[in-house]
Amino acid sequence: MSDIFQVPIFLFLLQGLRVTLTIAGAAILMSLVFGTILAVLRNHGGFWGHLAAVYIEAVRNAPLLLFILAFRFMTPLPPVYAGIVAMTVFETAALAEIVRGGLKSIHKGQWEAGATQGFNKIQVLRYIVLPQAIHNVIPPLVSQFTTIIKDTSYVWAVGIEDLTGKGMIIMGRYTTAAQVFTLFGLIAAIYFVINYSISCYARRRHQRMAKAIY
Amino acid sequence: MPGPFAAFKWEALLSDWNVFAEGFGMTIAVSVLALLLALVLGIAFGMMGTEKSRLFRLVNRCYVELIQNTPLVIQIFFLYNGLPYIGIQLPIFWVGMLGIGVYHGAYAAEVVRAGILSVPKGQFEAAMAQGFSYRDTMRHIILPQAKRLAYPPLTNLAVNLIKNTSVMAMIAGGDLMYHADSWASANLYYGPAYVVTGLLYIAICFPLATYAKHLESKLEVSV
Amino acid sequence: MKKVTTCFLAILFCIGMLAVAGCGADKPAASDAASASGSAAVPADIKAIKDRGVLKVGIKVDVPKFGFKDPNTGETSGMEIDLAKQLAQEILGDASKVEFESVTAKTRGPLLDNGEVDYVIATFTITDERKKSYNFTEPYFKDGVALMVKKASGIQGLADLNGKKIGVAQSATSKKALESAMKEKNMKADILEFGTYPEIKTALDSGRIDCFSVDGAILAGYLDDSTVILPERYDPQLYGIASKKGNDGLAKFANDTIAKLQSSGEMDKIIEKWGLK
Repeated sequence: MSDIFQVPIFLFLLQGLRVTLTIAGAAILMSLVFGTILAVLRNHGGFWGHLAAVYIEAVRNAPLLLFILAFRFMTPLPPVYAGIVAMTVFETAALAEIVRGGLKSIHKGQWEAGATQGFNKIQVLRYIVLPQAIHNVIPPLVSQFTTIIKDTSYVWAVGIEDLTGKGMIIMGRYTTAAQVFTLFGLIAAIYFVINYSISCYARRRHQRMAKAIY
Repeated sequence: MPGPFAAFKWEALLSDWNVFAEGFGMTIAVSVLALLLALVLGIAFGMMGTEKSRLFRLVNRCYVELIQNTPLVIQIFFLYNGLPYIGIQLPIFWVGMLGIGVYHGAYAAEVVRAGILSVPKGQFEAAMAQGFSYRDTMRHIILPQAKRLAYPPLTNLAVNLIKNTSVMAMIAGGDLMYHADSWASANLYYGPAYVVTGLLYIAICFPLATYAKHLESKLEVSV
Repeated sequence: MKKVTTCFLAILFCIGMLAVAGCGADKPAASDAASASGSAAVPADIKAIKDRGVLKVGIKVDVPKFGFKDPNTGETSGMEIDLAKQLAQEILGDASKVEFESVTAKTRGPLLDNGEVDYVIATFTITDERKKSYNFTEPYFKDGVALMVKKASGIQGLADLNGKKIGVAQSATSKKALESAMKEKNMKADILEFGTYPEIKTALDSGRIDCFSVDGAILAGYLDDSTVILPERYDPQLYGIASKKGNDGLAKFANDTIAKLQSSGEMDKIIEKWGLK
């Protein structure tokens, strides 16, 4: 036990955690933006809507690992960037579907009401429809965010040293059951604390907001 | 320099099609069994989550939160590299099936729980008043109604499960992704290998995802 | 005044580089530059380093005993690091006047080409193909695909691995080398491919595989009390110090240094120091 709980090991894991959070954070931000755009397009229909639909369906029905391998081995991007791009490409499709669910939940009357107030379509979307749509899907969005943090561990398949990677590197140096189990527990605990706090925080905020509205 | 999608690379892939077929078979076998396991776990733990007993609810929360908040990759690595230290060396197929089944079982449990909670409490009380046992109430009254609501998310869950079987590539699991990547890194014909792999996954996932949408829209109409 | 001279020489050096890049690999552009700078005795490429006051070397940071950066101390060490220091000692008279740049299999070529490093000493295997693009010294180390097994397993060589599982990294070389060696021995083992080295080591520790097989140099970094590297080598590979085509002064200099180290027995000492025998 005591040979695992050492400062250098924590620092080493912390470096990995930074990579995990960098990739996950960048992927979350970018895919939220792109996902929202795709959701709006698909909801709107027309040529661009169809294109968005094709992208979403093609990407979300293939595994994330495939995108990570492809971007790592077939593009000249540096490893961490390849990871970010691959995850963004993949998660954009997933977030687009969630946001679209929110858009569908907005009553058509809102569009008309906005229009009669002199808003143009973009303005209605920006100030009336999207805020409500996103608010309605905060729980599944946050749950997808935690999934993104977890799924970042797939980048270890191409040797990017995220938290999982650093953990496995250390694992290679320890060979007793107690050490290996402690390490697994420690790594799992780090992921757990992060994801659990995020979902708890989101849940509480959502409840408070829901109370404030109704 | 020939492009990443040069014709001869496609020919090489065609002549090695059995490599991909073998992996595809493994992926489907693991998917089906893991899905069954996930459903069984989902129903069992989902029902626990709706119990009055605090112990049952605690068991439900522990399972769901522990599994949902840690990565599948770590769980699979644990089964693969951790368990042998205490003398349990599961065959690779079991590692995949158990790991993937247990992981998605946690998501299934949440879906099932939400489904059961959506059935008004009065129905439960009415059934009990009619002399139904707990088991019969669940089986004949509650679960059939919960099922309707749980079906679409469960179908989506099946799609995620199939995609996540690719985690086996990280433990030399012999699934589609492993064989594709191994084939590609041996001859560096990445382009065709990844495209064909993607299409094979889409071939099973897209119909399921479309079916889920269909179920969802039916649900919306009836509600 | 000194600054101006340095600037001038730096510019001259850059022009020399451009000339090399522009003229193609065959032209001895370095000697032109040498005469231009006015000192015939010292080749321009070496003079440029002397003026810069520091030697830039591309090294690996992930191959223990060759080039490895300790994640805890941030210090880089290994036999290739020692070689680089020897070169700096010879050129600049000070072993510490060396600047390390971490390279990977992918980046070491481009970094030589764009002049970011003077030498690459990074488990760089000498091949005819590569000789067309870079100058290589005579080999300073001979390596090959090696086998690491658990001491307790009692496995003595490839022959004992019949019907067992061998873990390799996802790349063509070790798998191919093993497959052809096994064909010769008329045996068969399961070859499992993993994405990274630590994963293979973990799989060996947990008993998932019976043997971990990659280049001996890389394997040495994963050796511990419970494991042993077998003496057999497959698909032998020779490591050399690479420099850019055209920087012929650098190439000759490195070659001379290697020869000197080898004849004085210093090279054996370095190899022994890192336990690479």
